Amino acid sequence: MRAALFGVALVAMLSIATPSHAALRVVATTTDLASLTAEVGGDVVVVDSIVPPGVDPEAFEPRPADLEKLRNAGALVRVGLGYDFWVDALVARAGNKRLMRGGDGDVDASLGVPLLEIRGRGVVNQAGHAHGHANPHYWLDPENAIIMTAGIAEMLVRRAPEHRERIVANRERFVGKLRAQLARWTDALAPHAGSKVIAYHNTWPYFARRFRLDIVDFIEPKAGVAPSPAHLARVISKGRSKQVKAILHEPYEPENASRFVAQKLGVPLVKLATSVRSMPETADYSALIDYNVTAIARAFAARNP
Amino acid sequence: MTVTSDAVALLAMPLAASVVFVLIHAYLGVHVLRRKVVFADLALAQLSALGASVAFANGYDVKSAAGFAYALAFTAIGAALLTFTRGLARTMSQEAIVGILYVVATAATILVVDQSPLGAEHVKKILIGSILTVTGEDVAKLAALYAGIAVVHWLIRRPLLALSRDESSAPYRNRAAAWSWDFVFFLSFGVVVTSSVTTAGVLLVFSLLIVPAVIGAAFSKRLGLVLAIAWGVGIAACAAGLGGSYALDLPTGATMVMALAASLVLAGAVKAFIVVDAGIRRTRLRMLARTTTVGALLCVVASSAWLIVNPSGDQPLLALLERAAHVGPPTFLARTEAETYESAVRDIVRFQSEADRLDAMERAARYQGVPLADDEIRRIASYQQNYNEMTRGERFVRDVLQAKARARERWVIGVPAAVVALAGLALCLRLMPGAMRAIRNATPTPPFLKRAIP
Repeated sequence: MRAALFGVALVAMLSIATPSHAALRVVATTTDLASLTAEVGGDVVVVDSIVPPGVDPEAFEPRPADLEKLRNAGALVRVGLGYDFWVDALVARAGNKRLMRGGDGDVDASLGVPLLEIRGRGVVNQAGHAHGHANPHYWLDPENAIIMTAGIAEMLVRRAPEHRERIVANRERFVGKLRAQLARWTDALAPHAGSKVIAYHNTWPYFARRFRLDIVDFIEPKAGVAPSPAHLARVISKGRSKQVKAILHEPYEPENASRFVAQKLGVPLVKLATSVRSMPETADYSALIDYNVTAIARAFAARNP
Repeated sequence: MTVTSDAVALLAMPLAASVVFVLIHAYLGVHVLRRKVVFADLALAQLSALGASVAFANGYDVKSAAGFAYALAFTAIGAALLTFTRGLARTMSQEAIVGILYVVATAATILVVDQSPLGAEHVKKILIGSILTVTGEDVAKLAALYAGIAVVHWLIRRPLLALSRDESSAPYRNRAAAWSWDFVFFLSFGVVVTSSVTTAGVLLVFSLLIVPAVIGAAFSKRLGLVLAIAWGVGIAACAAGLGGSYALDLPTGATMVMALAASLVLAGAVKAFIVVDAGIRRTRLRMLARTTTVGALLCVVASSAWLIVNPSGDQPLLALLERAAHVGPPTFLARTEAETYESAVRDIVRFQSEADRLDAMERAARYQGVPLADDEIRRIASYQQNYNEMTRGERFVRDVLQAKARARERWVIGVPAAVVALAGLALCLRLMPGAMRAIRNATPTPPFLKRAIP
């Protein structure tokens, strides 16, 4: 009897101490999705990401190790909307059928998210990137993380049905925590609702919708093409007439033009993080949103004390 | 302030920077052309970028003193390599070594950036400047740096010019002396291009270096005159490029490169047709008129042949003509077809503007009034998706009808145009026996033929 109890205890201990033995290997294309997957999967999964933090995912060049990751993975979480289009070719090359579109280990995190700036199926380059369907930066609205984690949880349960309860509990805990934080973030930016800003790229529509910011213009309207002087002059005069309060800037983009406009308007240049771990302060998903909200709130507060 | 006064303030500093750049780069360009190492600037700039990346990977800020020291050290290595490989120029072109240096430095930069932590992507981009956002402080610093280098070059102008004139470094019996002058030249050159590439970008710096110097060299052999022409033309082209970039709403660096290229074409025309005596000018103008006519006729023949073979393909020349003559596909369609075509064109605009209207509505609701609920956003998205699909449908209708019109145009326009152009070509060739003879005379008879013809 004692031996049997000891045996049960041993098995239990082993299963806690070495979860990765049976753990499901999940690859996420970005660090943001990796962070959300880790929240939902907990110790059921081992998560890896492909695009390094702080690298522009649309200009990303995959390497052989990424192929290896995908070959050994049991599940894949992608941004979709053409943002990480290269992953299709990689998965096909790795020959992992389970991760292909429609496979039981594949999830497009954009499913169910209310999408903004729909541009149709054609690759029309109108307001920035050559986005296929819609603006793809939907993870920057924390409310969307609730929908995204639902999709991720559904896929994980499909792949590891024996851990169903744990996955559901993890997700509920994460969503509860996020809702509490969301209330705090909304309160922090509520006094600045309707504030006008200029952004470097069209990266922040979802963030702007959630926190009620008015992005009046973009400094670089076409990705990779330097702004013309006439455009810059228009941006500055618009910024002045609309009383813009800050310039939002992505950390991996050149700073010259943004700094120039910020100086001309006498407003702060606010560097926001677009992905988890792209800055030391953004270690996980909640830290990412927290960092951005705090940075903007601080910039606004400095202007009108 | 108005948009215009913003523009003047915006363009003043780039213009000042351009003047500073032209003064030093046109001068260095003369050397580089004589030494036949036109791509040395790219190789040195890339090496300095490699130095900056190494500094960043080691935890230094690119704009700190350490960052600058790394960049300078790598530039010096490049200068040393260029100096020593000059001796190899007898067995192979130094240009080949310059090219290899450039690609190796670029590849090494990619590998270093890949190994460095957080935000390394950033480094690559800091190293490519944009002349539009240059500040007064930048211009003052650059002017001081270039003035210092200009003084050094003035003091050692004799050995430098001698070395640039003669490829074998013969004027200097003393090898070590020749090598040290060469090293000073390449190092100062490296410092100049490194600083200018980070403020103006690779393309513009290359053009500033080569184009004015080429124009100057085309008109004179005397250094003073070459420089005067290069400076004048360079500054004028930069000013035109900046103005054009503002007036036409185009990216500045690329427009300035185009303006410099245009100045080269203009200078070529001046050299060929204006600074020659009347007889030669007349002959050349006649030649130009004929080649232009023959070229245009050949274009028409090729274009109409393409229209006959593949009417539904892209027809650039025909599209241009149709737009100029305000003639569209409806002219060549039956009445009902023309109506369908016109309604398709109208609907494309209408559906697109409906989608845009929804977009504007959603954007406004982000920050004013009652926020839209998720389901309302989803409904807007699905409407937009529908409008986009409908636009695609109408585009398809438009394209099919346009192809139909083109299929008719091939008989109405394609065949007659081809016949007329071919007749014109035949006429030109018949009128040009003189030209044909001139070409025949200008071509030297190969020696074996000379021997064969008694």
